[in-house]
Amino acid sequence: MKSFNHTNATSLAEVKTALADGKTNLIAGGTDLIGTLKDNILRTYPSTLINIKTVPGLDFIKEEGGVLKIGAATRLADIAENPTVKQKYTALAQAAFRVGTPHVREMGTIGGNIAQLHRCWYFRKPENRFDCIRKGGNQCFAMMGDNRYHSIFGAVNRCIAVNISDTAPALIALNARVVTDRRKIETENFFDVRTPGNTILDMDEIIREIEIPVPPAGAKSAFLKFAIRKSIDFPIVNCAVMVGGEKPRICLNAVAPKPYRATKAEAAIAGKTINEETAAAAGEAAVADARPLEAARFKVQIAKTLVKRALLATV
Amino acid sequence: MTNNYRYIGKDTPRKDARDIVTGRAEYLDDVRLPHMLIGKVLRSPLPHAEIRSIDVSKAEALPGVHAVLTYKDVPDATWGIPNHMRLLDKKVRFVGDAVALVAADTTEIANHAVERIRVEYEPLQACYDVDEATQPGQPPLYDQYPDNVIPQITKLLQNVIKGDVDKGFAEADEIIEGTGFYECFPNPLPPEPPGVIAYWKNPDKLVAYVATQSLGLNKYLAQPFFRMADTQFIATQCGGSYGTKNANLTPIGYAAELARATRRPVKIYYTKEEHLAAYSLRLSCRINARVGIKNDGTVTAVTGEWIVNTGSGSEAGPHEIAVGCGELQLALRCPNWDLRSKLVVTNRAPTGIVRGYGGQELESSILPIMGMAMEKANVDPLDFFKKNFVRVGDEYFWRNGIKYIYRGIDFSPAIDNGAARFGWEEKWKGWGKPMSVHGNKRRGVGVGIHCNADVGEDHSEAWIKLTPDGRALILVAVSEAGQGQRSSLCKMAAEVLNLPLEHVNMSFPDTDGNPFEFALVGSRGTYTVGKAVIEAAEDARRRLLELASPVMNLKPDELETEDGYIFEITNPDNRIPWRKATGIVRTVLGQGRFSEDFTLSNFLVTFVEVEVDTTTGMVKLVNVVNSAGCGQVIAPACLEGQLHGALGAAGLDTAIFEGGMLDPSIGRMMNSNMIDYKWRTFNDLPEFSTLTQDTPMPSHRFHAVGVGEIATSPGPSAVLMAVYNAIGVRIMDYPFTPDKVLKALSKIR
Repeated sequence: MKSFNHTNATSLAEVKTALADGKTNLIAGGTDLIGTLKDNILRTYPSTLINIKTVPGLDFIKEEGGVLKIGAATRLADIAENPTVKQKYTALAQAAFRVGTPHVREMGTIGGNIAQLHRCWYFRKPENRFDCIRKGGNQCFAMMGDNRYHSIFGAVNRCIAVNISDTAPALIALNARVVTDRRKIETENFFDVRTPGNTILDMDEIIREIEIPVPPAGAKSAFLKFAIRKSIDFPIVNCAVMVGGEKPRICLNAVAPKPYRATKAEAAIAGKTINEETAAAAGEAAVADARPLEAARFKVQIAKTLVKRALLATV
Repeated sequence: MTNNYRYIGKDTPRKDARDIVTGRAEYLDDVRLPHMLIGKVLRSPLPHAEIRSIDVSKAEALPGVHAVLTYKDVPDATWGIPNHMRLLDKKVRFVGDAVALVAADTTEIANHAVERIRVEYEPLQACYDVDEATQPGQPPLYDQYPDNVIPQITKLLQNVIKGDVDKGFAEADEIIEGTGFYECFPNPLPPEPPGVIAYWKNPDKLVAYVATQSLGLNKYLAQPFFRMADTQFIATQCGGSYGTKNANLTPIGYAAELARATRRPVKIYYTKEEHLAAYSLRLSCRINARVGIKNDGTVTAVTGEWIVNTGSGSEAGPHEIAVGCGELQLALRCPNWDLRSKLVVTNRAPTGIVRGYGGQELESSILPIMGMAMEKANVDPLDFFKKNFVRVGDEYFWRNGIKYIYRGIDFSPAIDNGAARFGWEEKWKGWGKPMSVHGNKRRGVGVGIHCNADVGEDHSEAWIKLTPDGRALILVAVSEAGQGQRSSLCKMAAEVLNLPLEHVNMSFPDTDGNPFEFALVGSRGTYTVGKAVIEAAEDARRRLLELASPVMNLKPDELETEDGYIFEITNPDNRIPWRKATGIVRTVLGQGRFSEDFTLSNFLVTFVEVEVDTTTGMVKLVNVVNSAGCGQVIAPACLEGQLHGALGAAGLDTAIFEGGMLDPSIGRMMNSNMIDYKWRTFNDLPEFSTLTQDTPMPSHRFHAVGVGEIATSPGPSAVLMAVYNAIGVRIMDYPFTPDKVLKALSKIR
């Protein structure tokens, strides 16, 4: 790891000013950021990290005015264990619980979990070994290489790396909004494929909180993750669903450069009783538009299975 | 089994346990020598290339840099079996091959200097597969191996040829042909990466601190590499090895050459990425075999070609082939053989010593073909293995090509007890048949065995020093890599000398202060080093009683020793402390030696139950029973830990998710980090039982042989069998990841 300065912020205004120099990175839990710095995967290296954990008022979980509010710096472990979240926002609690390891969940925050960089073993090779499109280069190394864990729904901006956030699909299924220091964004519209970055946030924009409308009475949600191991691993595919509300909402992740809202699956299950047959049909519909590369074809089977099982998990 | 021993077969605290758990144990990274520099390696981004030019001037100019070495600056010495690998060469042979070495004041400066070295390469066509490598026109990796095949070493067992295979096939009821693939290139991945600190005490004496499994082997192999300079190897506490920290001379060479150039101690400590992608991987194997079998499970003939991919360098390939050829004969009695090996170099990372050592690779690839034969002959695999493992009086060729006759014990009880614990009779439903089906979850069971006569390999020497204060010091060059052997040797000596265990200790593990000892490899420590230590203790005891004899006016055989006292056997109250017998200005030295013996074997049978999710392709390990045959158990808890080693360490999980993933378009290992390289974590552990039998083995005074090494070996083929039985489709290439299982089930569109 190279040397950098570290400062503790006391207000968001201070953070915003610091970020404006383009050489400062914001750090919350740091579970993704420190890894990227240790491995030196990007073209540039920050001169300073500004810590927002010391900014008051960013760590809370509360229901008010028909909305659940979660501070951006709230740790994943707190979300996973919160009784209200577990009961009414089940998919989010389940998703937060499946992130990384106990250590990662004790450090990692909800804001960081949705804003983290994507996983692609070319992008992530130490010492910026592969200077790919996402770093300003002109090549996608995964396209011609080993892409078994890559997108099954094609490229975005010529990149086939996947977003692997566990909480993102849960937030999308739960209809959540991301509140920043300047705007409110539907979670579904929060993601982008940029150089660098996976969100639409401006360079100096800061996530303040997540807002989730209280689900309608009778609504149920669930999250499932498929990975080789129970801990540590990022998803090969994950899936969150919410049903029993106005309209079903189904979101897959790790299948595309952005979280993938499975609208065809939602249409397939809408108005129907969930059972083996209808859930399986929704699974098929979820992958109707899949066009995987050869090595990633197995993920299609897994994606449709997870949609089916997540739906059945709400019954 | 109960016995009358004071320590043998009883759990006693490991001597180093408290130090390990309190952080006092000294690992390589804890060693700080005055004026020590940090060494770093510039590694090749290309899989195969000639170096056209190297410009190190910008690296040398950096303040804090003390040496930059290229192939032009190091002696032209080679190592490996056979000798062929240079420390630095004009050519690079895999992504990660060393191009230049830097020594600097700090890691940061060294890394910065590495970045400033400019290299021009002339790329050459690379190959990763054994077929590709041996195609005409493929550029050779080494000039001396024009067809990329390393010639067989005639003094080693490179093939199994005996009997008359035509006659054998004529006698067979069924003949099966098949191809098995154990080509997953796993890394056994000890938690502590490889590391060395080296300095030259004078131009003729190299001193090296090494995180090593085997001090003696380091010295034995390294000395020719350093043109017979005197070498002193000092072992630090070793954070796991699983075979890989025995003989890999590359980091030792890097540190030694940088130390020579700078005249200062230099430390080389691999990063996890270097450890995973540029150190020792397990051999990769493919086998095309033909097997004749009778309907009663008798094997009548085995023929085939065993093609071994050793990557860009062979640390021990021919020797591993030799041991594999030997081990297969112990597991599979058959009068007629024609099995020939071929060792191929490719542009993958080099392979080296890994527990299982040839046998695990050979059996994992050939036993599935035996399984096909058993199925055709309708033989239960358990009956098959019981019928075919080695029996007293059986002949086999061992690794040196010499024929031996087995004189050990019958391992049937190990199989029977393991089967009973596992519930084999209830769970085995026949070939290709699941044990149970619940929706998309199908369970299957499998079994594998392994035997190894290397329990008596090579030579050992031990000395024991008795001091007048009633203590014993064992002088033997044994380092500690996790097996607990340093504590077990103390138990054996304490048992012979009848001393409190806390009064028996091991000398500091280095090669200068101790006599010759080969290595803790092949599970040899318990029998070989054990016997040398026992002999030394008996010799010391005899000398002690001879000294006491005139003092007590009794003959030595009328005397006995206990807890530092010598007493008259018929009148125990007549006793003196050791110091009265020896005086306080004397040491009593006992010596012991072991000479190699390949007539005994250990044994392990592994039973596994897996659950396959047929909609996701996930293989879940549900239950493992490891039942060992190793004679009298010395240290029960240590042995149980060793047998748990079946998981991890490039073992059973090479069938489930472990392996190196190479991008063949660029030759680079993609999963060389601890997130993408899959290694079983604690919360994915299956139910796991270990059994031992305590049947006395005709080895030494305590009737034991070691078994730890082979804990990994029967697992992969057992899992293959279990997955087959669960889903009814036989997948022949490891590991059985979801993509392969779904493909086998035709679930991929």
